[in-house]
Amino acid sequence: MSTTQDLPPHLYGRGNRHDMGVTLVIAAASALGRLTSHLSARGPERVEDAGRVLTVERRTRESLDGSVVGLVLTSPDGGPLPRWWPGAHLDVYLPSGAMRTYSLCGDHRDRNEYRIAVRRIDGGGGGSAEVHDVLQPGATVTVRGPRNAFPLAPPGAGSTARRLHFVAGGIGITPILAMVTLAESRGIDWSLVYTGRDAASLPFLDELARYEDHVTVLTDDRHGVPTAATLLAGVEAGDAVYCCGPPPMIAAVRAAVRALPETELHVERFSPAPVVDGAAFEVQLADGTLVDIPADRSVLDVLREGRPQVAHSCQQGFCGTCSVRVLAGEPEHRDTILTDEQHPDEMLICVSRAAAGTRLVLDL
Amino acid sequence: MTALQDIGPVALRPRDVQFDWDGVPLHWMPGEPVATHVINALNLLLPAGERMFVSTFKEALAEVTDPEVREAMIGFMGQEAVHAETHDKVLWQFLDRRGIDPRPYVAQADFIFGAIGAAAKRLPAPARYRNLVERLAFIAGIEHFTAVLGDWILNADLESFGADPTMADLFRWHGAEEVEHRSVSFDVATHFGMGYVQRYVMFVLGSGGLLVTVVRGTKFLVHQDPTLPNYGYPRVLAEMTRAMSHGALPKWRSLAAASIRYLRPDYTPEVEGNTAQATAYLAKSPTAQAALA
Ligand code: FES
Ligand SMILES: [Fe+2]
Ligand SMILES: [Fe+2]
Repeated sequence: MSTTQDLPPHLYGRGNRHDMGVTLVIAAASALGRLTSHLSARGPERVEDAGRVLTVERRTRESLDGSVVGLVLTSPDGGPLPRWWPGAHLDVYLPSGAMRTYSLCGDHRDRNEYRIAVRRIDGGGGGSAEVHDVLQPGATVTVRGPRNAFPLAPPGAGSTARRLHFVAGGIGITPILAMVTLAESRGIDWSLVYTGRDAASLPFLDELARYEDHVTVLTDDRHGVPTAATLLAGVEAGDAVYCCGPPPMIAAVRAAVRALPETELHVERFSPAPVVDGAAFEVQLADGTLVDIPADRSVLDVLREGRPQVAHSCQQGFCGTCSVRVLAGEPEHRDTILTDEQHPDEMLICVSRAAAGTRLVLDL
Repeated sequence: MTALQDIGPVALRPRDVQFDWDGVPLHWMPGEPVATHVINALNLLLPAGERMFVSTFKEALAEVTDPEVREAMIGFMGQEAVHAETHDKVLWQFLDRRGIDPRPYVAQADFIFGAIGAAAKRLPAPARYRNLVERLAFIAGIEHFTAVLGDWILNADLESFGADPTMADLFRWHGAEEVEHRSVSFDVATHFGMGYVQRYVMFVLGSGGLLVTVVRGTKFLVHQDPTLPNYGYPRVLAEMTRAMSHGALPKWRSLAAASIRYLRPDYTPEVEGNTAQATAYLAKSPTAQAALA
């Protein structure tokens, strides 16, 4: 390690005298570095990222009004599938090329099949309609995962909670159903408040019927829109709450749980928020490639398609990992962390954009 | 291995945190001023390291085709970037406003970790690749200790020393994420072909460097602290040992045992903490939950 850089000042302010401590650390580092640089290193193994092809084994109608379909997916060779834990989801790649994420809602102890459930949302980008219409028994579908962004920490195994309380809104029951199965199998004390528009639209009511005394079903048509207090009925300080449902429901539960000391709140951690008030613009990369950024997608999202190695993490503008140097053009900053000095020539490509029709030249 | 059986692998995501240190006293563990400064020094030092981790991982990411490894790296980078950002802002301002100037120490930390990356940039391609693997091994060695320390702080009874709840939560949030991502850097270095000798040498360098710099930083902070006498190294080390015997710091014995574990051929980061415990903690940490309003 050379010392062409300026050495930092001495810890105790003795002018520009070099600091023995720093010099020693650097000397040790370069000596050891020289020692091991003779060892050979092979490159990382190349892995074909093709996903996993599964077969639709069965379809089930899960709500009275038919708006929710359950799909059981198995391996084409009938073999066991990778293990999963409650809260996990699959990325499902539909025949049209669209990708949708669905929570696993079966029994995690069953190694031979995955179960997901999908509510048909007309006009919602078409993914769920495609599942309903195209994924008939025998069809194949590519998946990635399972991955778990909503893990369950069972009481006694790391969590100090005594009880688990689940709150599910509509199709948000899917990960909770797997959690309930686990809680029941381990003899953990639990309760569930399950809400929705009306009973006909709520999936899995029949499966939940056997847990009668643990489950409270509240529908808007009969009980009105539930308050945080009803959603958290029976919860005491020190319990663990797992909540999955529409954002306003999660916000209400969060505010109420915050008032309870030492109470865990677990929610699924999704990544990107939709682009608000964006315009279409153009990005030029270091090698001259031009890329169109549509009004409703981020630069990162578009670039990642062809280049999965583009660095990023939170996709919400707070971690700074996706920071890229701006060589030309005027970015419109939407992050919360870059300082004003950094702003002219750096941008966070997960959230920051540019004005309609303009071009940004990025050092990528 | 009950930890993995109980919760399974967890998808890593950075957490946007919020933290308000108004009203936190300088000696946030009132009875243990030296232990307080040991933890402060470590957390002043780490941001420079964490930034080096992120830039090294960015470089490494370009070579990774395995989607699982890539996912884990992406989660890891975001968490470390937020750690660096938060400690830089929070701890820095906190100490600065309470009459301790962290600049000289932070400048040295930046210099040391910056030199590692700068040296790599000057290397020709093949040597640079070997150097990348070395840096990954170096990171894995340091991350063994951050996991051990994270596990320690999640289980330490800091409250019995009167620890300020906000400050304890800041360090436990960090510790919990260190436990949560404890396998990543070891897996990445292994994925890049880290050999046993390299692992050993880089660990000695990383952990030795960490220890020396933290002790130096502690002496520096104690020296700056207007309420403490100006201890020399023997006294700083004696005070640290005393704090360890109370349980306000992890004991030398347990640090030595952790070092020996890392050198075992069958070492796995999996046993260095409990993911379920970290997950449960993060679900009730005011720091980690604040921004999710
Ligand atoms: S990915 Fe975190 S700031 Fe862009
Ligand atoms: Fe960290
Ligand atoms: Fe870490």
